[in-house]
Amino acid sequence: MADVFAVPVFFIVFRETLETSLVVSILLAFLRQQIGPDQDAKTYKKLRKQVWLGTGTGLALCIMIGAGIIGAFYGLGRNTWSGSELIWEGVFAIVASLIISVMGAALLRVSKLQAKWRVKLAKALEAKDNKTSTMRSRFKTWCERYAMFILPFITILREGLEAVVFIGGVGLGLKASSIPLAVVCGLIAGALIGYLVYRGGMYAPIRIFLIASTCVLYLVAAGLMSRGVWFLEANTWNVLTGGDAAEGGNGAGTYDIRQSVWHVNCCSPSLNGGGGWGVFNSVFGWQNSATYGSVISYNLYWLAVIVAFVTMRYREQNSHWPLMRLPSRGPQGLPRTQSDSSGGGEIVGKGAGFEEGTKVAVRKVDAS
Amino acid sequence: MALSLSNYLICFVLTFCSLAEAATRVYNFTAEWVRANPDGLFERPVIGINGQWPLPRIEVIVGDRLIVNLNNNLGNQSTSIHFHGLFMNGTSHMDGVVGTTQCGVPPGGSFTYNFTVNQAGSYLYHSHLDGQYPDGFRGPLIVQDPESPYNNRYDEELVITLSDWYHDEMPGLIKRFLSVTNPTGAEPVPNSALMNDTQNLQIQVQPGKTYLMRFINMAAFAAQYLWIEGHTFRIVEVDGVWTEEAEADLIYVSAAQRYSVLLTAKNDTSTNFAINGAMDADLFDKFPEGLNPNVTSFLVYDPSAPMPTPSLVDEYNEFDDHMLVPYDREPLLENPDYSFKLDVKMDNLGDGVNYAFMNDITYVRPKVPSLFTVLTTGAEASNPAIYGVNTNTFVLEQNQVIEIILNNHDPGKHPFHLHGHNFQCVVRGEENSNDYNPENVTLPEIPMKRDTWVVRPNGHIVMRFRADNPGVWLFHCHIEWHVDSGLTVTFVEAPLELQSSLSIPANHYAACNAANAYPKFQTQGNAAGRTTDLLNLEGAHVSPPPLPEGFTARGIVALVFSILAALLGIAAVIWYGVGELAQTEQASGMERVGVITEK
Repeated sequence: MADVFAVPVFFIVFRETLETSLVVSILLAFLRQQIGPDQDAKTYKKLRKQVWLGTGTGLALCIMIGAGIIGAFYGLGRNTWSGSELIWEGVFAIVASLIISVMGAALLRVSKLQAKWRVKLAKALEAKDNKTSTMRSRFKTWCERYAMFILPFITILREGLEAVVFIGGVGLGLKASSIPLAVVCGLIAGALIGYLVYRGGMYAPIRIFLIASTCVLYLVAAGLMSRGVWFLEANTWNVLTGGDAAEGGNGAGTYDIRQSVWHVNCCSPSLNGGGGWGVFNSVFGWQNSATYGSVISYNLYWLAVIVAFVTMRYREQNSHWPLMRLPSRGPQGLPRTQSDSSGGGEIVGKGAGFEEGTKVAVRKVDAS
Repeated sequence: MALSLSNYLICFVLTFCSLAEAATRVYNFTAEWVRANPDGLFERPVIGINGQWPLPRIEVIVGDRLIVNLNNNLGNQSTSIHFHGLFMNGTSHMDGVVGTTQCGVPPGGSFTYNFTVNQAGSYLYHSHLDGQYPDGFRGPLIVQDPESPYNNRYDEELVITLSDWYHDEMPGLIKRFLSVTNPTGAEPVPNSALMNDTQNLQIQVQPGKTYLMRFINMAAFAAQYLWIEGHTFRIVEVDGVWTEEAEADLIYVSAAQRYSVLLTAKNDTSTNFAINGAMDADLFDKFPEGLNPNVTSFLVYDPSAPMPTPSLVDEYNEFDDHMLVPYDREPLLENPDYSFKLDVKMDNLGDGVNYAFMNDITYVRPKVPSLFTVLTTGAEASNPAIYGVNTNTFVLEQNQVIEIILNNHDPGKHPFHLHGHNFQCVVRGEENSNDYNPENVTLPEIPMKRDTWVVRPNGHIVMRFRADNPGVWLFHCHIEWHVDSGLTVTFVEAPLELQSSLSIPANHYAACNAANAYPKFQTQGNAAGRTTDLLNLEGAHVSPPPLPEGFTARGIVALVFSILAALLGIAAVIWYGVGELAQTEQASGMERVGVITEK
């Protein structure tokens, strides 16, 4: 068994694939539901292509870099990432967390738009020739246009390289023959779960699926934020101790007692691939050795999420930000609403998206 | 180099002149900082004696009274002298261990060591306080034996000290070693190896003559493999014990061990030979780039001939010291009266620092030196509890046969040293032989004896000795780092007998009571300094608490808060997700389209 199937490698690949495939499948399911082949097939296909392009490019890039790392690792006998891999992982985890968070909110918000607006928005973003005035708004537009590319790209790049680094770490003590099958199985298992989520998205009530999947995205992002901080702290500790503490096991001395909030000498998500704890880590950010930094960042992240969503909903209900008296763009916004009110009614018949929501909107429009 | 050689040659005529009767030999030692650069790489402050470093050799004859008047002129550190390997029979208070048999001699203070030497052989003296001696305060001590079985077997005597050497001073190194940022307890690795406190020493020999070479390892840490190319050693002494002659090509000399060997010079004077010392790099946590673990001296037959380049060896096949037979052929001490186990391990305590333990106790110096506790606690002195948990005290009754079973649960080698005794080396398990199991073990009839013996990684050693020397004696690993991290136990031997026979000179109390005494000690009572209610150890020095196991209250609160935060966060996402957009917001989608499409 150990000769042909390295269990630690399986778990590493599985967890990293799982995280990636969750993101990809949620995006695909979102596109399918919200833009949909039956509404604007062209835009839908384009955006779907973006997702796959991002996934493919990220995968290709991480295979290239990974091959370089592994080559250097086995060829030159030195871990070229040692010393900087934790910084790299920490920064990438935090960046990925922020991107997922922003995207999650955006997806949820867009889903609340009436189908027509959504499609129009998507189409408008597709149009290449627009040039807005400021750099900032141009950047924003660019991000919006390529969001479906950026998110899977960043995610897979991060997870893929993490997998390579981890496998490089544990692989040293393993037979080379035991790695390929484990990698393939890990990939298949992770992708399968992603596919099931996607399929589930087709059968589950649309709204419930979208909210549930956004919740999963935020759990992943919260874990990433906490892990990012943890990685940076682990790097500091390794610099102080002059060694790779995580590779020394999970006992005393592998962590900085001064920063420790809890530590259990088991259940390490990184040791030998981490097993189930590794999966627990990648989905929920579990740490067997939690630090002040990782706990506080996790809690602050959720606090920020709560504040952000409460504020957003407040604004959606009241048309202005909390603590600001006047609607910030009333004069411009309101006339447009008026002029578009008739369009809202048309969508009801098509039955796409949120029947209830649309009715409410229509009622409100009528009331006005 | 040739000059320093004369320091290490002993003129026999002089020795024999003073044979007739026991003499009193007085050494006046003033310890002070001097500068030295023994490896030619780095000059640093070292502890010298009377302005000199390397330290002078102490030389006495069996039966002599040795008086060392120590003046501490260091200015910034207390000090002491331990005469390593000398039994101090009847003079336990002269053993020189700060916190056990005396208080430190404070800067500006003086202290007199005065005792009779009844053992022959090769020894060393060194300070026994806070890991101080690797800063230079260690030197050879030779006791000539007019009745040595080998007296007529050699022409001249050579003393060759071995040592490791650090460029940094001990206080800083110890601080870094015993630090939360050194959680694995990685010992500082020496910067160099030395022979006679120098390198590339040329030792002139006469063809055909036989030499008694005394090798003394004064290292803080590193053992050395030692061999002379083209020559064979005939071992005749280990740690002050004459042995039956045993041939060896290569010996392993751990910190604080000594070997005397007979070596007959070749008749051919055309070639010179390298004396090789190689530090045992297995001891080092990592091998620093650029470290030369080897030191070479030369056996010079012809000073005009070139000095050889040491040749490489594939493997160290060192002589197994367990094979030696003491010259007195003392039989195995049978039927131990008191046998106990000492389990060695390294672990971290609650302050994150890596400590060394025997039976789960790491040594911490008591408030009252243990010998003073013996003398001031009456009948309670037989109760090990009054010496404090962290002195790890065993009380031995007079004339009992003691058996120590030491199981090494650590993957490192440890040279264990017993004060006040030689011990019979009864059993030594190979590497990874784990704990001692007395079944199916044949004990040697005439075991080797010595005072410092190496236990193998994850192996065991069994030692026996007779408790015929009332006193307070430490038993510890002689790697100085491990002394600092607590790999020490205390043997209180015949305490009630001590009370009736021993009185401590005023000079000793003066050191304790000096205004600038450091470390501070009390001179009466139990380990906590209590003179009544002796079993109350409240206030005694103890080790830091253990690391918390698993979840503490803090961890549970943090975990609960994290889970709560996640649930609330998800609730917020759901709450937002089910909420409807107001009409104005619906429009904002269009507005955004407008922003993008309008140019």
